[in-house]
Amino acid sequence: MNSTLVSRNAFLCAAAILIASCGTATFTKSGSDATIESLRSFHLAFIDEFAVPGKKFNATAFNAKVNEGNAKFQEAIANDKFTARRPVFVDLKAQFDADAAHIKSKASRGKVTPALASEMKKDVNKTYDHALGR
Amino acid sequence: MPSGGKKKRKKPSRKKSDIDSALDQIGDESVAAATAEFQDLVSEAKGDTTELIRQNAEEIERRLDLLKKREIDKEDFDHFLENQKRDLRVFIDAQPAQAQERAEKLTLHILETAAKVAIALI
Repeated sequence: MNSTLVSRNAFLCAAAILIASCGTATFTKSGSDATIESLRSFHLAFIDEFAVPGKKFNATAFNAKVNEGNAKFQEAIANDKFTARRPVFVDLKAQFDADAAHIKSKASRGKVTPALASEMKKDVNKTYDHALGR
Repeated sequence: MPSGGKKKRKKPSRKKSDIDSALDQIGDESVAAATAEFQDLVSEAKGDTTELIRQNAEEIERRLDLLKKREIDKEDFDHFLENQKRDLRVFIDAQPAQAQERAEKLTLHILETAAKVAIALI
């Protein structure tokens, strides 16, 4: 009788832990998804601000925005609770770094074209969709 | 890429794209080998991976066209090729661990081969 009660309690505890962990995983993933969407918005706004044909390159504003971006990506890598996603955040930061370097190189020489900005934004959207598993 | 002695895979029927037609005209041996490898890898791809490869091939074609029209330059074109590799890395890292190796073989390898062919066409 006693052992049946112990077994039943153990089973209920295991079921409760399983249900709670599933709920936490879902919550954690949705938080991680929101972080990715926030980084996507920042990345697209960055391209809109600096990959503009004919716009004079402002190195101070550019560096400030890159530093802001670096801080955002580092924070996402360090704090994301959905640890399986961490390599994806590292990949997204690499994409941001490469885009920033390319924009700096082109904009500082006045070589940004409408097609460059448009194609860069297409790539950003595609990559962030893949990060979200879409 | 192994081909001799292996059972023949059924290749998916698809309309020939501009890049396929261009590939057919390439005479150089190394590029021809890369082309054969590319076509072999594409025939292995299924589902989401097929869609991804199709999307990447279209992007390379579109950007080759932009390059020809001088709407982007070679630096931009190279940047976009590297972007495709980075994007495929994201795609792979977002897959479940057990699917990553196969996804890596089929995507990054195909893109590297396609890029080799595209550069030969410029």
